Amino acid sequence: MRGRTLDEDLRGTAVRDPDRAAVVASGRTLTYGELDRLADGFASRLRELGVERGDRVALVLPNTTDAAIAIYGVLRAGAAFSPLNPTIKHDKLVHVLADSGAAAIVCDAAHAEVVGGAVTPDSGVAIVSDVEGQVRDGAPAGVTPLSVDLAAVIYTSGSTGDPKGVTLTHANMTFAADSIIEYLGMNGSDRVLCMLPLSFDYGLYQLLMSIRVGATLVLEPGFAFPGRVVQLLESERITGLPGVPTVFHVLLSLRGLAERELPDLRYLSNTGAVLPAPTIAAIRRTFPNARLYSMYGLTECKRATYLPPEELEARPTSVGIPIPGTEAWIEDEAGNVLGPGEVGQLMIRGAHVMQGYWNDPEATAERLRPGRWPWERVLATGDLFRRDEDGFLYFVGRRDDLIKSGGEKVVPREVEDVLHAAPGVRDAAVVGVADRLLGHAVVAHVSVDGDASLDEAALRRHCAARLEDYKVPRRIVVHEELPRTSNGKIDRRALTEQSLSLQEERLRDESLVE
Amino acid sequence: MTEVTGDVRGEIRAYVEENFLYLHPGVELRDEDDFLTLGIVDSLGFVELVEEVQSRYGVQVEDVEITEQNFGSIDAITGYVERKRSAA
Repeated sequence: MRGRTLDEDLRGTAVRDPDRAAVVASGRTLTYGELDRLADGFASRLRELGVERGDRVALVLPNTTDAAIAIYGVLRAGAAFSPLNPTIKHDKLVHVLADSGAAAIVCDAAHAEVVGGAVTPDSGVAIVSDVEGQVRDGAPAGVTPLSVDLAAVIYTSGSTGDPKGVTLTHANMTFAADSIIEYLGMNGSDRVLCMLPLSFDYGLYQLLMSIRVGATLVLEPGFAFPGRVVQLLESERITGLPGVPTVFHVLLSLRGLAERELPDLRYLSNTGAVLPAPTIAAIRRTFPNARLYSMYGLTECKRATYLPPEELEARPTSVGIPIPGTEAWIEDEAGNVLGPGEVGQLMIRGAHVMQGYWNDPEATAERLRPGRWPWERVLATGDLFRRDEDGFLYFVGRRDDLIKSGGEKVVPREVEDVLHAAPGVRDAAVVGVADRLLGHAVVAHVSVDGDASLDEAALRRHCAARLEDYKVPRRIVVHEELPRTSNGKIDRRALTEQSLSLQEERLRDESLVE
Repeated sequence: MTEVTGDVRGEIRAYVEENFLYLHPGVELRDEDDFLTLGIVDSLGFVELVEEVQSRYGVQVEDVEITEQNFGSIDAITGYVERKRSAA
């Protein structure tokens, strides 16, 4: 029987098996006993700083043991955490802190400057720029959270405007974690390698699920060095490898990987974007002993669907069926349920569906619709799907123009706004262009204002100073005029096609050089 | 061999400056500085770096060789290319 709140299982395993490894990061192993004690001690420190039950605490931490301590420490203080990408820039951090009304922000020394710059002295927000070094002795006294209490506010980009906080209770998160644990068949003997940022819900749940079942999480700061990943697969006897298409494409390009035995590797999972069929075939050749799970989800419900690996052969491009304990169906704009082959919006029902967006009833009403019962709300995903005769689901596209790049969501509007603010830019349009490694690459097209002169390097620099790394356009094309449709709007389709042919040109040039 | 090393070092530096460093004005990159710590090269950047090293120097980079020790800095890459060439 697993716990009602996210941190109860940490306590349970710490009592039963304190020496079991919980988190391994940068060569350091935290046992369940240590993580349990440090989480208590950090919770005490947060209480000392004035954090109360129900408060929000922002985290700006890379993938380290400190991040794990901070997450469970916040929960033990009865508060909710907001995991933020460590490459977050000043303006967005200011927005998130104000929007969430965070009582405290936790970061490491490397991010102390950007955090300090975003917190005004009179705001009352406590800054904690170290985790393990700040722990106090013992657990905080006071009330423990209920399963209906807020556990996390996860900020995610919408199609317009500022990022919105997805509010999730302990019940939402334990339900989602347990459903995924069930179909992956996770248990205490698993050793999961996580190189996805913990600020990304896909990465975060690797920690939450591992702790829930008493497994070991091997945490890497990122996917910079694939050679390191291959070494870890062998030396840490990894059983589960969650990835996004970029990760699998890079791994498949490595020399020598297919010859390795990797007898412990039991499963691989993919989400973020659909894997092309040839990539799936290559993964199965390279990792013949591992089961591959194709999955689909969004932060608003964590995970929506998964494809049982035995179906991979028959339906390689499907993202499967609703996760255990949930329902999904496809609707047209009028709310009619659609049949096989028809394209409409995917709708989700279950205890994993979020409570809404923090402080944003309008955006919440757009996503959460009245459900089967007076108290129930179902999730409109905003994504277009179709299903086959047997009920298996296929991702068709987005209803809005969000770009999925390297597993992260990029909102064209946000990048365009930044480009518009650059001197000399009249118009800007940002499109996603199919890319071998990223799934889609962010490509910007800008037009020049008057006789100003624009240079790609300077514009990328301008973006890099204001946006998270993954949002910075990989290419910026300067035009005199952007193409327009007959009704005067910027013609995004033409720009996407132009970007494609530009990329082909580059590839041709490269192959000529060779 | 000294001359060859000088070329590799200079070429790697030029490549890194042209493709990565220009996004970070104000960062002074020394040959021994860690790309990742300075946030200059991300995971895709390393893939590009590896491809560049393979095509420019004709070395075959094995899976487990794409590590910080071999690709983490200008010094690391220079040493790696030198070792691979003398082993070939």
